[in-house]
Formats: sequence, structure tokens, C-alpha cells
Amino acid sequence: MNLALLPSAGAATDAPPRLDPRRAALVRQQQVRLGLWMFLATVAMLFAAFASAYLVRRSGSDWHPLALPRLVWVNTLVLAASSSALEAAHRAGRARRWTGARAAMIAAVALGLGFLAGQLAAWRLMTVRGASLAASPQSSFFYVLTGAHALHLVTALAVLAWTAAAAGSARRDPHGWSAQMSVCRTFWHFLGGVWLFVLALLLLS
Amino acid sequence: MTSPAHVEASRSGRVAPRGPEPHQGFLRRYIFSTDHKIIGIQYIFTGLVMAIVGASLAALIRLQLGWPEHQWVLLSRLLPRGLPGGVMTPEFYLAVVTMHGTIMVFFFISYVLVSGFGNYLVPLQVGAKDMAFPVLNMLSYWVALASALTMLASFFVEGGAAAAGWTAYPPLSAVPAAVPGSQMGQTIWLLSMALFIASFTMGGLNIVATVFSVRAPGLSMMRLPLTVWSYFIAAIVGLLAFPPLTAAAVMLLLDRHFGTSFFLPAGLVVANKALPNTGGSPLLWQHLFWFLGHPEVYVLILPALGVACDILPAFTRKPVFGYRSSVWCLVAVACLSMIVWGHHMFVSGMSPFSGEYFSLVTLAITVPMTMFGVNMLASLWGAKLQLHTPALFALGVIALFGSGGLGGLFLGNATADMQLHDTYFVVGHFHMMIGGVTMLATFGALYFWFPKMFGRRMSEAAGKLHFWLTFAPFFTIFFMQHFLGLEGAPRRYYAFTAYDYLQRTRGQNLVISVAALVLIGGQLLFLANFIWSLFRGRAATENPWGATTLEWTVASPPPHGNFETIPLVRRWAYEYGIQTPQGDFAPQTWAPPQAG
Repeated sequence: MNLALLPSAGAATDAPPRLDPRRAALVRQQQVRLGLWMFLATVAMLFAAFASAYLVRRSGSDWHPLALPRLVWVNTLVLAASSSALEAAHRAGRARRWTGARAAMIAAVALGLGFLAGQLAAWRLMTVRGASLAASPQSSFFYVLTGAHALHLVTALAVLAWTAAAAGSARRDPHGWSAQMSVCRTFWHFLGGVWLFVLALLLLS
Repeated sequence: MTSPAHVEASRSGRVAPRGPEPHQGFLRRYIFSTDHKIIGIQYIFTGLVMAIVGASLAALIRLQLGWPEHQWVLLSRLLPRGLPGGVMTPEFYLAVVTMHGTIMVFFFISYVLVSGFGNYLVPLQVGAKDMAFPVLNMLSYWVALASALTMLASFFVEGGAAAAGWTAYPPLSAVPAAVPGSQMGQTIWLLSMALFIASFTMGGLNIVATVFSVRAPGLSMMRLPLTVWSYFIAAIVGLLAFPPLTAAAVMLLLDRHFGTSFFLPAGLVVANKALPNTGGSPLLWQHLFWFLGHPEVYVLILPALGVACDILPAFTRKPVFGYRSSVWCLVAVACLSMIVWGHHMFVSGMSPFSGEYFSLVTLAITVPMTMFGVNMLASLWGAKLQLHTPALFALGVIALFGSGGLGGLFLGNATADMQLHDTYFVVGHFHMMIGGVTMLATFGALYFWFPKMFGRRMSEAAGKLHFWLTFAPFFTIFFMQHFLGLEGAPRRYYAFTAYDYLQRTRGQNLVISVAALVLIGGQLLFLANFIWSLFRGRAATENPWGATTLEWTVASPPPHGNFETIPLVRRWAYEYGIQTPQGDFAPQTWAPPQAG
């Protein structure tokens, strides 16, 4: 392949002009927020598809109501506590209390991990009770819906953990940190909402 | 959307590409590049390679249907399992049909036209230095490549490639014993599709964010070229319509490997064995599949129409007709495309009321689509047409869009569709639309933007010959298939000769097969022209076609970062027929000299 044909083979003529970092960050934040919301729209469509499949399948003759383990209620509280911790971190950041913000972020991540562990325990409880993946359509949906939700939560936890780690340097760049926090809050609360939706769906049976 | 802060920001060139600077090594520059132009070209090359595979599969299909009993000795040596003794096995035929459809829809047209040109053109045409998220963009290509390689790998696994059709309807796709392709091949097919959707999500997100957030100052939405509009709308449709197939793929994989019953009904007996499943619904898959599948058609065809609309003015030397209404037609089509999927399922036993609903909304789509088509025709009115190769292909797009679209009127009507469903009428119709319209637009785009991409011209003479060797056989094949369908010939049948009433279609099938071989042979001319021009083509100037959009204001090929300073846009994209120092057109950045 003749490299001269390819686009970047030209001389480097684009020495960037002087940058205004503050404005650059602002545009970047707008882009990230837009990207995040579009991603969340695809997540919403994914769960809408699962939900419509659930409703269709629910009308089948082999559909039997299934008791959810009580643990899922505890998990729901843990997730709600995690969301509250995230809000506390946000408020602490706004008040420039960086130690408090960091502690609250770590609490949010820990509670998020706690929720995941709780969900795993709920899976085990279900399996022990004989409600395995293939046992009934309702139990199949239980694993699929909670599994898909948990996978998204893992991604969000990574973003949260990254922000928690950035809390150390937030003093030097409070705007950057607050932008990161805004992404965390949207993502995490959205997934919290998805969990409530999934839970309501599973309780329908 | 363009806030003052943003305008000032982008004027100072702050939204700089995060990709490697040009002095970086070969690997970062050409392989793991974050430059949208390189990524676009990577997509285009990958798609063209996949097209060769897809076309070879088409040749196999036509050999079987044109000469049903012939023994292909040479082929039996190449494909000993598919054609033992030179005659194709029915199982292999099904796998070939499935993979031809899958590869052409998802890995040729999607990669070259949507992802390839989308990547290449959108940042250039909105006056940006790169996509909004360059790293995500690179990731999108690598996931896409993994998806393509995964799909190709399925030819080599036990049982061969997937054979349940590109629509993968269960139970055929869910029960490994149903057909050899439903063993490992189908699992790989599903995984590959999941990767494809992940990749498309990353790419689509980028296009939407780029159009919204890094447009050059002065480039309002209503000054965007129709190409950008079409990619923008197609990306939104794709983002919303594709996730349900991910959900369906997860459930089908669980049905296949973990004994669940999402799609498998009770009492199913396959290969003399009763299956333990209960109560699943195969129709549920069809709903979820077509919720993706129908919008996918528009994800492919809207960019084809947008690209054709932007190629034509350079050769008619006049503005497009009805720009604003064309934009709103694209928006209307996109909205309607999300609610019509049921017209693929008229014979599934749906309630007549549902059928009536899906008929009505489907026929409603023809209103904006026809308006768009009429706008394209009116754009030709009174033009002094310069019939260069890209113009021929763009005119071909209009011709196929008009004639193929007529078939849609029959298929969108539930009563007529009952008769025509799963016949060659459908095959003829969708090949003209998502096969032909998109393929001609892809070629038009390749000829039109080749000088910009590689700084060289393709041969005009070879290009024109290629057009006729593409358009004439293509129209012959798929126009004739409409009539095969009217005679009741079902699609996907391996041995139509086994049915008395289809014996008389032998002649038609032979003509179609000969035309198909001419069509495929004609593409070799394109390949030769493409490769020869890459290395030996005449050098291209900055703006060889005298076109107005922003990509023609920079060097061919554009440097890393596209624009030295972000351009200030002063007019819409179709300012032809006015005298400026550049000629009979005004580039979007041109300002008349100040008086005094």
C-alpha cells in the first residue's frame, strides 16, 4: 500500500492554536452528557424489549407465579443507600469538603458492591429452592433481567470507582470532578430506576 | 445546540482530535488510529472484503438454481463438504443463503455505506477535526472487525455456518438437531450479531454526538448537507432499534444452551425426539427480530438516499429541490419505521385488526418516501446533466428506488402479502431496495469521494462500464424475480425442480443466473479499477467535481485534523448556479467580497 495515498500521511500542518482549557472542558462535558444519555436510551430499549418479552410470555399457559426471595428487598434498600451516599458525595463536593466527598464515594461504591453480592446470594437462594434458570419461564426471566441489570451496574461501578479515585485530586480541579460526578449520578440513579422497574415487573406475576 | 461558548471554543480549534499526531508510528497512524478518516477507510476495506465473500455465496446460490442438476467438479474440490460429488447439499444451500443475506446486510452495506462513509464524511462535512469520541470510534471498528471475523469463523465449525436464514427464526435456529447449521454455527452467528450491535452502538453514538456538538460555527442544522442528515437520523434509529435484538439474542442463546423456553413451544418434536420445552413463543422472536430488522432497512437506505442527493447536484449544477421537505421526510420515515415491523408477519396468524394497523402505517411510510423520491426527480428538472460515473450511480439509485418501491405497496398490504409472502416477489423487492439502492449509492459514494480519500482519480471509462455491468444485470435479476414470485415460487427452496408447477420457471432461473454471473463479473472490473487507481490513478485536485460541501475545501487527502482552522460556514450546501471565483458554485465557506 502506498502510504502517501492515505489521509494522515500529509505534512503535520495542524499545530493546534492556543487552547482555553476551561471552555474546552465545557464542550467536552456537554459531549459526554449527550453520549451518556444516548447510551442510556439504548439501555432503556434493551430493558423495554425484555419487558415486552416478559409480558408476552406471561400470557403462556405454563406461567406460574414465583415468590421472590425476601433478600431482594434488602438489596433494594442497599442500592437506595448507595444512591444516597452518591448524593452525599455530590453535596460534600459542592461544599468543597473533599475528605467527606471521598468517604461518601467509597461508601457508594461499597454499597453498590454489596448490592451485587446480595443479588448473587438471591440467585443462590433461588437455585436452592429449585427455581433454576430453566425451571420455569418466570425463573428464567428472573435470572435474565437481574443478570442484565447487574452487568450494567458493573460498568457503572467502574465509573463510580474511577470518580472516587479522582476525589484525591478534586481540590485542584473542582469543575472536572463535579462534571464527573454529574455523569456518575445520572448513570447510577438511572440504573437504580431500572432496578425498580425490573422489580415491579417481577412482582407482577 | 450551538452555544456561544461552543462557537468560540471551536473557532479557536479547541475541540482538537485526541488521536495520534501525524508524527506517530505506522501502527498508531494506520492500524490503531483514532482518526475518523482512517477508521472510515478501515471500515470500507473490511466491508469490501466481506462483499467478495457475500458475492461468492450469491454465485453458489445462482449456480444451484440456474443449473440444478449440474455437477461442478472443480467446486467439489474447493468445497468437498458443501458440494460432495459436485452437487450442492440442501443443508449447505441453506447455510449459503443465510450467510449471503447476513454478510451483505450487516457486513457489506452496513460497514461500507453506513459506518465507512458515515465515519469518513460526517466530521468533514460538519467542519469538525474529528468525531466527538475518537477512542470510542476506534473501539467501534475493532469490535466490528471481531464481529466480521467471528461470522466468517462459523464456516469452519462442526455443522458449518448458520442455516436458519438471516432472520434466524426459532425453532429452526434454536434446536441444534433441526439443521446442521443450528449447531455451533448458529451460536457463533448470535455472538457475532451481539458484537455487531455493540459496535454499531458505539459508532451511532459518535455520529449523533458529533452532529450535535462539534458543528462548525454558522453550520445550523438546516444548513447541513442531506448526507449528514441521513447519517444522523439513521444513527438515532439504529441506537433505538438495535438493542431489542441483543435481548432476543440473549434469550435465544439461553434456549439453545441452558434449556430455557423463551421461544420454544411445548410438544415440539425434532428429529424424532420430543423436546422438553414448554410454552415458549416462536412469534416472540419474530416480533423482537423485526423490531430491529425493519428499522435496519432504513438505517441502510436513508444514508443511500442522502448520499445520492449530495452527489447529484455536483453533476446537475443546480440545488436539490425541496431541501427542507426532504429533511422532514427523513424524520417522518425514521419515526414511522419504528412502528411497522408487523408487516413482515402478516401470515403469522396475527389478528386482522393488527394486520390492518400494520398495513396502514406501512402504506403511510410511502407518503414521505414518495415525497423524497419526487424531490430527487425534481432536482433533475432542467439540469444540464454531466453523466460522470458517480452521477450514473446516483441516477441508478433513483431508478431502483422508484421501481423497487412500487413492490412495497403490494407487500405492505396485508391482503396481497398473504399471497406473496415468502415468495421471490419479496426477494426481488428487498434486493432492489436494501440491496440495489444501497449498493448503487455505495458505488456512487466510492467513485465520488475516492479522489478526496486517496488523492487520486478512478478511471472514468472503466467506471461507466462498471455502472452498466452492474445496473443492467441487477435490474434484470430482481425485476424478473418479482414475476417468479407472482408465479408462486417460494424463496429459500433448494430444489424448485421437485415441484411440477415450478418446472416452467427453469428458463427464468437460467436467465437470472446468467445475469447474476455477469453482475458478479462486472464487480471484478470495479476491484481492478479501485486497486489500480489507488496506486496509479491521476492525481486529484482539492475539489475535482466543483462541489460545495466542506470536505472539498481541504486538501485531497485531508490532513490529520482536517481543517487548519475551523471553517466559518456562511451558506447551505447547495449553492450551485451562481458565479464565484471558484466557478458556477459557492463553497459553504465562501463570502462575497465586501463592497468598497
